[in-house]
Amino acid sequence: MEYTIETHDLTKRFALQKGFTNFLRHPFRKDEMTAVYDVNLKIKSGELFGILGPNGAGKTTLIKMLCTLILPSVGTARVNGYDIAKDSGKVKESIGFVTSDERSFYWRLTGRHNLRFFASLHNYYSDCAEERIDELLSLVGMKERGDDRFLSYSAGMKQRMAIARGLLNDPAVLFMDEPTRALDPGAAQNVRKFVKEHITGDEGKTVFLSTHHLPEAEELCDRIAIINEGRIVAVGTLDELKSTLDKPDPGLGDVFTHYTGKEFERGAAPNHVYQGRRGMMGGGRPRGMRF
Amino acid sequence: MYKKAISFIIRDLILATSYKFEFFLRFFFMLFSILTFYFVSKLVGGAGMAHLEAYGGDYFSFVLIGIAFSGYLMTALRSFSESIRGEQMMGTLEAMLVTPTDTSAIVTLSSLWSFIFMSFRVFMYLVIGILLGVDMSNANVFAALIILVLTIICFGSIGILSASFIMVLKRGDPINMFFMSTSELFGGVLFPISILPEWLRTISHLLPITYSLSGMRHALLQGYSLSALAPEITALIVFSVVLVPMGLLSFKYAVKRAKIDGSLVQY
Repeated sequence: MEYTIETHDLTKRFALQKGFTNFLRHPFRKDEMTAVYDVNLKIKSGELFGILGPNGAGKTTLIKMLCTLILPSVGTARVNGYDIAKDSGKVKESIGFVTSDERSFYWRLTGRHNLRFFASLHNYYSDCAEERIDELLSLVGMKERGDDRFLSYSAGMKQRMAIARGLLNDPAVLFMDEPTRALDPGAAQNVRKFVKEHITGDEGKTVFLSTHHLPEAEELCDRIAIINEGRIVAVGTLDELKSTLDKPDPGLGDVFTHYTGKEFERGAAPNHVYQGRRGMMGGGRPRGMRF
Repeated sequence: MYKKAISFIIRDLILATSYKFEFFLRFFFMLFSILTFYFVSKLVGGAGMAHLEAYGGDYFSFVLIGIAFSGYLMTALRSFSESIRGEQMMGTLEAMLVTPTDTSAIVTLSSLWSFIFMSFRVFMYLVIGILLGVDMSNANVFAALIILVLTIICFGSIGILSASFIMVLKRGDPINMFFMSTSELFGGVLFPISILPEWLRTISHLLPITYSLSGMRHALLQGYSLSALAPEITALIVFSVVLVPMGLLSFKYAVKRAKIDGSLVQY
């Protein structure tokens, strides 16, 4: 298996909801919108691959197709060697999914109860599950708070629990859908550091990360794909992408604007803040997260 | 699978008991519906004796079994679709669906707690009924358990069928509406179906709840043997043979449809 993730002409078209008048006038007409169009990607094992695009570009649809939550309209994809449409069970055994939606947990259960429940869905029970949960709680720096109710956690803690849940089955591939969207700059920085140093660094996992924060993509990703209106418009390392521009010392923002025709949204923190923080990357704890 | 089932039950037990006040209120107000029918039966007295004779002749005993066991149908109709909607609204469904656990298993196991809670409720109904004078001294418990298992299989399949519509349509499930509106009228929950005109009784014979309640009354109130209960048991087996594959196949199709539409987690 040369590539951990491989897509061929992956396309997703959604049927549009018809208004009542439209339905009466054209009952048999099928109106569709294309969310993802002809995506061809090849991602190697251990690579931290970023998919960068504005809101509504198709990032989440692409991730959900790769996680088997949505079936493609056309094209195929293989994750860890398994076809996403034909072997969805095998795909799900080998992936983890980290969402930024903090509602994806049971708020009235403790963090540990949540992990125990999701571990059982991955067929981990009893001692085996407890061992893994303890390991992950320590890893994400939540050991002391693991027995508190989820509703008492801060946004940063909730995101750490989301990462712990994504790693429950020790997946070969981790999909992360805008993992720092709800976090303040400091917390977001720690998540990025953890992903870079631990998940891809120590563990050697393949990470497929979607983001609309340019600095995040710039700081984290080995390669970046820029997606706009459902199409991948550019793929490469940061240097490769920059080299396609006929401009002295371009930034990723320039690349983004060049390929999408759009100014990027300055999210949690502008570029210069990240430039300043990047110096902090070498310091701190080698494993685990602190917010 | 049983370990997974226990995980779901523990999750739902913790969630249910975390709302302590609601948890106890549900038990407390359960008493009210039983008492209402107890006093109605005092009023009715022996008025409908001719129709009740086949079930032992006492209206309170008749209606107690009716409201207790029809609860399983209501639970089945609600719990599967509500578990999907609940997880969708809480936002937890997506996180569950990216695990190797099959979607049908997730929906089925999510409903387990509702059935356990319903069983406890039925037990309490029967205990209170006995305290209020219902005679179950001749009950054939083994036969009642067989009827109960077949009832849960039948009603559960209808519930899964109903959940298939919820998965695709999100609201406006015709199965739920049909069974909710017809079961009390035609299923013999509050009165024997022999009261209905002949032509309406045909509808009663097409509903599994009719056989379930009839069998349960005969087993618990009159202690019928398994051979005497053969008509009800056979009917429930036939319903199960038809409804189980129908429910599972329709749910499989509904999940595929929702994955194509990208609406798995929409509500």
